[in-house]
Amino acid sequence: MTRPYHLLAIETSCDETSVAVVRNGGEVLSNVVSSQIDTHRRFGGVVPEIASRKHVESVTVILEEAVAKAGVSLGDIDAVAVTQGPGLVGALLVGVVAAKSLSLALDVPLIGTHHIAGHIYANRLVGEIEYPALALVVSGGHTELVLLASEGRFQIIGRTRDDAVGEAYDKVARALSLPYPGGPHIDRLAQEAREEIELPRAWLEPDCYDFSFSGLKSAVLAEINRANMKGEPIRAAALARGFQESVIDVVTAKAMKAAAEYGVRQLLLCGGVAANRGLRERLSALCAEAALPLLVPPLSLCTDNAAMIAAAADLKWRRGEFGTLDLKAEPQLSLEDWSVSH
Amino acid sequence: MNGTNSGKMEGGCTALALDTSSAVLATAITRNGSVWDSSQSFTERNHSVRVVSDLRELMARAGLRREQIDFIAVGRGPGSYTGVRIAVTAAKTLAWAWQKPLVGVSSLEAMAFGAWHQWTGRPDTERSAWIVPVMDARRGQVYTSLFAANRDGKWARAEADGIRPLAAWCDSLRELAANADDSERPQAVYFVGESSFLEGKREAIAAGAGTIPFRTEAFAIEAGAVGLLAERKFRRGERDDIHGFVPNYTQLTEAEVNLMKARTEIAK
Ligand SMILES: [Zn+2]
Repeated sequence: MTRPYHLLAIETSCDETSVAVVRNGGEVLSNVVSSQIDTHRRFGGVVPEIASRKHVESVTVILEEAVAKAGVSLGDIDAVAVTQGPGLVGALLVGVVAAKSLSLALDVPLIGTHHIAGHIYANRLVGEIEYPALALVVSGGHTELVLLASEGRFQIIGRTRDDAVGEAYDKVARALSLPYPGGPHIDRLAQEAREEIELPRAWLEPDCYDFSFSGLKSAVLAEINRANMKGEPIRAAALARGFQESVIDVVTAKAMKAAAEYGVRQLLLCGGVAANRGLRERLSALCAEAALPLLVPPLSLCTDNAAMIAAAADLKWRRGEFGTLDLKAEPQLSLEDWSVSH
Repeated sequence: MNGTNSGKMEGGCTALALDTSSAVLATAITRNGSVWDSSQSFTERNHSVRVVSDLRELMARAGLRREQIDFIAVGRGPGSYTGVRIAVTAAKTLAWAWQKPLVGVSSLEAMAFGAWHQWTGRPDTERSAWIVPVMDARRGQVYTSLFAANRDGKWARAEADGIRPLAAWCDSLRELAANADDSERPQAVYFVGESSFLEGKREAIAAGAGTIPFRTEAFAIEAGAVGLLAERKFRRGERDDIHGFVPNYTQLTEAEVNLMKARTEIAK
């Protein structure tokens, strides 16, 4: 029997400071997330300098909590994984420097990890992934369709050309004077709505898996302006429904089309917007219809967290692909380039 | 700096020290009041890339094992926001993982202290001086402070670290120097900072206070000074709380300032 191994992962790419300890690549012993959302709410969005300051404030506290909760000692840690990118550069730096310091302190390997690979491999923490698989990544910063021909090999077949889905949700929510973060409020309003204001769908060129949400966002703003000019009340619920329906129609249709074209064996939904009920329900229905298994991690593994970083880092741990202490935070790190090399 | 590599490392007061608040990435090992070994790297403004490697190389070169380290010493700023976070994060994490005490010092004081220590070996240095560290804070402002020193070993802080407009700060220093009691009056006032920053500012600074000359001297932070200053605190029993330790930014973020402004407007 081989000795169990433990990866400690650090995630600070945006406004969550998170540390996790994961055993044997799949068993989450701890996954502590310190959210700064209450701080950033006052500013209506994430303020990068404040996010960086908060990360420095909490990093060792969260490290200590994660190690204690995992019931291991630092001597049990076999490697340190960290989100290398993409993300806010100042925020990434704190995690990267902490991880490198810990790698030196414990004399264990360092694994720089791609944030989106983390979102995708969060699914590995709840089930086995069968390849080829297609991942639909929807979050505040990302909207991507990623093909995984085999384990750890990423090919982006579609991406947003302007706003990420989560970003569009936040902007529309702000226009409707909903509190930050707006995604859950739009989702709830859309569910409650009795009527819908029909909004356009951005299908882009035929056979194209890219996305665009800026036109849809503009359509919402135009409708709000129109109502304001006429002195009519804003029909927030109907607008939320129209917006959400347009997003879901396009995102799920493209995902299903790509899944069929590439003959994938599973569809993986991931990223913070995977929490959106409307999206989950529609995708479940479509996948059931197509007899395509759908994997969706629980909410705690969809939003930014370090356990998902450990799950992705495990790909490299098992292949012995480590970083050096000169590892650099890369705000634009490429997912495809991060693929495993063998 | 004046390190001696002969003595045994055990049984003393040994610090691993670092500072990344300015353009230099500085690391050092200090022990019992002297600098054991140190490194300064100017090649890469992105200190986050090299900070941990530099520490490891320094330890390897000096043959320093982690068990021999008594505490971690770090410059907590002020300086570049991103810069100060790098050393503070590394220091906090190392102190936590190794379970060593953490002692933070002012990066400005380290700059001033390091410069004064270097000059006291020089015959042309006055017996007593004021040392004014200056670091670029943009828009005509500097992170700065004031220290009084003499050759008999006096080292005292005279002003708190802060962000000040350079021109107004020079004026108030001229007034302070001119009005100082005989016992407190310095023989010279030295502005120390990075050469690239002092370039073009010498004129503005040069007008002295009566007979007291104002001088500018280029000096880059050495972590040896961080370790030596921290050792004094460490010997007095001062420790920083590892978890609560944060950089000294000296000011709120722009977003916080704007929010406060907006709230005051509404209150009116
Ligand atoms: Zn994310």
